[in-house]
Amino acid sequence: MMLGGDATDHSNTAKYKSAILQKLGKKVRGIHILNGNEIHVILSTKEEIPESCYYVHKDLKTKLATVICSDERLAGRGFMLRYVFAKENGEDVFIILTARIKENDDSAGGRHLTFPSIALHIPSAALYEREIKDMFGIWPDGNPDTRPLVLHEQWPEDVHPLRKDFDINSKIPRIYNREYPFTKVEGEGVCEIPVGPVHAGIIEPGHFRFSVLGENIINLETRLFYTHKGTEKLAESMNLDQVLLLSERISGDEAVANSMAYCQALERIARANVPKRALQIRTICAEMERIYNHLGTLAGMSTDVGFAYGASRLNILKERMMQLNEYVSGSRLLFGVNRIGGVGIDLMDDKLKHVVNTTNLLSEDFQRVISMLKDKSSVMDRMRNTGIITRRVAADLGLVGVAARCAGIDADTRRDHPYAEYDSLRLDMRHDTPQHLMEYEIEMQKMKGDALSRFEVRVEDVVNSISIVNEVITNLHSDNVLVVADVVDRLEPYSHALGYAESHRGQTIHWVMIGEDCNSLSRYKIRTASFVNWPAIEQAVLNDIVPDFPLVNKSLDLSYSGNDL
Amino acid sequence: MIGKIGKRANSGSADIVGNSIETVGDPIKDIHAFPNYRGRVSLAEKAGLPLENYEAAEEICASGAIKIQACGDKEKITLDMGKCFLCGRCQEVAPDLLRVESAFAIPVRKREELIESLDGIAPAEESFEKMGKELKEKVGKILGRSLAVREVDAGSCNGCEVEITALNNPVYDIERFGIHFVASPRHADVLLVTGPASRNMEVALKRTYEATPDPKIVVAVGACGCSGGIFGDTYATTGGIDKMVPVDVYIPGCPPRPEAILYGLLLAVDRIPEKHG
Repeated sequence: MMLGGDATDHSNTAKYKSAILQKLGKKVRGIHILNGNEIHVILSTKEEIPESCYYVHKDLKTKLATVICSDERLAGRGFMLRYVFAKENGEDVFIILTARIKENDDSAGGRHLTFPSIALHIPSAALYEREIKDMFGIWPDGNPDTRPLVLHEQWPEDVHPLRKDFDINSKIPRIYNREYPFTKVEGEGVCEIPVGPVHAGIIEPGHFRFSVLGENIINLETRLFYTHKGTEKLAESMNLDQVLLLSERISGDEAVANSMAYCQALERIARANVPKRALQIRTICAEMERIYNHLGTLAGMSTDVGFAYGASRLNILKERMMQLNEYVSGSRLLFGVNRIGGVGIDLMDDKLKHVVNTTNLLSEDFQRVISMLKDKSSVMDRMRNTGIITRRVAADLGLVGVAARCAGIDADTRRDHPYAEYDSLRLDMRHDTPQHLMEYEIEMQKMKGDALSRFEVRVEDVVNSISIVNEVITNLHSDNVLVVADVVDRLEPYSHALGYAESHRGQTIHWVMIGEDCNSLSRYKIRTASFVNWPAIEQAVLNDIVPDFPLVNKSLDLSYSGNDL
Repeated sequence: MIGKIGKRANSGSADIVGNSIETVGDPIKDIHAFPNYRGRVSLAEKAGLPLENYEAAEEICASGAIKIQACGDKEKITLDMGKCFLCGRCQEVAPDLLRVESAFAIPVRKREELIESLDGIAPAEESFEKMGKELKEKVGKILGRSLAVREVDAGSCNGCEVEITALNNPVYDIERFGIHFVASPRHADVLLVTGPASRNMEVALKRTYEATPDPKIVVAVGACGCSGGIFGDTYATTGGIDKMVPVDVYIPGCPPRPEAILYGLLLAVDRIPEKHG
C-alpha cells in the first residue's frame, strides 16, 4: 500500500461508480463525480435510502462519515438528505447518497415529514437522525430513540432552528416542567449517580447518568449539547470570512484543523491552487496543534491516575508549545493561521530555526518524562484494562482518530484522504515494505482499546508530529504569495463540497453549500471527531468502577463544544 | 525575544524541573508576550480625520466591536474590547486608526470601561509598567489569603478552558497566590464563568450561582463571557454572562492569556471589602 498516491484515484472513483450503478440500478436517478473524489449518487425516492446505504456501507466497506440535511426549499428542492460514506486505507473516495424529501410529503399521515431510519443496521447513524429531527423537524421513521438531542426539554417540539424560515434571533419561551426520560436501570441494589452538567474540574459542561451496582458501572447515559450555541445557523448569517473566524471557534483547541477543513471545502469548489508554501505552513501549524493538545491530554491522564509530578512535567511541555504557538502565529491557540485560499502568517528563517530548536528540545524532555511514567507501576496499572473499547464497538460506531487506533482500527485522514502537504509526506515508514506492513498490522492487532493503548497512541502521535514538523520545515518552499485572493469570486451559487482534516481527536468533516450571493453559505454542516466518538464512552466504562471514569473520559479527550455546536 | 524562552527572567529561582524552563517569578510583572501576540486593539490618537474613511473597519469587524456613531454634530468611533475577539482584520483595512498590540486588554469591573472611544471618554490608560507595579503590591497584600474558585463553562468553545487550565501548570502556578480551584460551588468564593451563556446552560448556571455562598464574586471570562462574542445573542445563546447572573469583573480577550485571568481574579479579590466593608 503506497501512501498519498493519487494516480489511482480516478480509476477508483470510476470503479465504484459502475459498481453502484450495477447493484442499485433503478434506485438511482443520477450519478456524478464532483471535486475529484466525491461520488454523488442521487436516489430516486427516499424509500431507497436504507437498502442503498446498507449496500454502500457493508458491501463497499465504507464508514459513515456524516449525514447532512439541508433546507433547499427556497431553491425549489424541498429538504435534501446526504449520507456521506468514506473509504479508508488507501482509497481516497467519498460516496454521497442523496435523497430528496418533498415538503408536501404526506406519507406519514400529515403529522410530520419523515425519512426511513438506518440506525438499526448502521448504529453510527442514530445520533445524526436525532439531530435532524430536532433541527429540521423531519422524523426518522424506525429509529427507536426519538428523544430530543440538541434542543433540550425546555425547547418546544415544533420549532426547528435550521429551517430557513426560522429567524436566528428569535427568543423562544422556555418550557420548564418537562423532564428528559433517561433510561431506567432497575434491580436490587442498583442506584443512579447523576453528574454534571457543571463538573468538578475545569472542563466543559455535560451530564452523565451512571447506574451502579456497588461500585461497578452497569450503565452510563450521556446527555450533552449544553454548549449548543447555534453555530451552524449562525454561519448562515455571516459572510465567508466571518465564517472562517467562527470555524476557528467551533472548538478552541481544534482551531487549525476546523478552519483548515472549512477553507479546503471552499478551495475545492473554486478549484484554487493554494500556494505550496501556504499548504506547508498549514501542515506545520496543524501538527503543532496536535502536539500541544496531546501533551495536555497525557498530563491530564497523569493527574487522573494520581501522579501529579508527571502531570506537571507534561504541562510544562504543553506550555512551551503554547508559547511557541504564540511566537509563530500571534495566538497561543493558533487562531488566525488559516485564510481562505492560503494562510495569514509567514514563517521567516528565525522563526523556523526556533520551531526546530524548541521541538527538538521538547522531544528529548518528552522521551524522558514518558520513560519515567512507564517505569511507574502505579501509573501503568491504573491505565491497563481500564475503559476498554472493543474493536467491534469501534467498528460499529465508526470511531475516528485516537479512539479508533487504540482499538486496532487504522484510520487517519491525513493518509486516507491526503490534503495540504500530507500527500507528499510519508506519514509512517511502516508501510514501506511488506515486512514493515506485516509488523505494523500485528502491532495494531495487539491494541486493546484500553486507556493504556490510548496513552501509547498519543505518545506515538507526538513523536510523529515532531518529525513531520521537521520534515516540512526542511523542504519548505519559497513562495512569496501565501494567499490566492480570488477564491471567493470563483464560487457559484449552491455549489458544494466536503472539507476534511485530521484534528488531534480524529477526522473532522465540514460540508459547505454556497448561498445565493456567493459570499455567504446556504448550509454549513460541521461534524467533528467528538460527535462520532462520544457514544464510545458509554461502552468504555461498562464494568469499570466510578473512580475510573475521569481517567476514561480524559483518555478519550472529547470536545463538548465541538460536539454540541 | 527568542532568548527569553527557556530562560525566564527570574534568575533567582532554582531550576526546579531539571530542564531549561523555570517557573515565572511573577506572571503579571514578567509578561513575555511576543511582539506579534494579538492581545488588544487600540484606537490611535488621530482626532480630526473624517471618520467616514473608517467605515471599512466598522464593516469588516465581525464582532461588532467597532462602531461609528453620530455624536452631536460630529461622529465618534467606539471600540468595545468586551466584544472584540482579536482577529486583527480591522488593522488590515485601517492601519492608521486601529492597532493590534501585544499588551493584553486589562480586566475591568464595569462593562462600560471596556469601551474605548476616540474623543477621549475612555478610561485613563495605565501604562503597562505602572499596572505591573500596582499589581505587585496587590499581590503582596493578598498573599497568604485564600481564594476558592469554581470554574463554570456556560457554553464556551473551550479556548478559555485551555488558558484557565494553564493557570494550574508550574509556569503560572496560581496556587502561589492562595488561589485554588475547587470542585463544588459550595466551597467557592468566586465563580469564573466562560462562554456566551448558552440557553441550555441557563438553569445549571443559575443553580450554581445560588449554590455559591455569599459573599460571592462572578468573573466573566473572554469576549463570549463579556458580550456573547462571536456567538452573539441568538436563539441558542443569551449574549453574555451578565444577562443571567450579576457580574463583578470582566476579563476581555479571545481567549484571555493566563496573566489576564490572574489579573481579573486579583481584581475580584479587591472587591470583597468594597462590597461588604
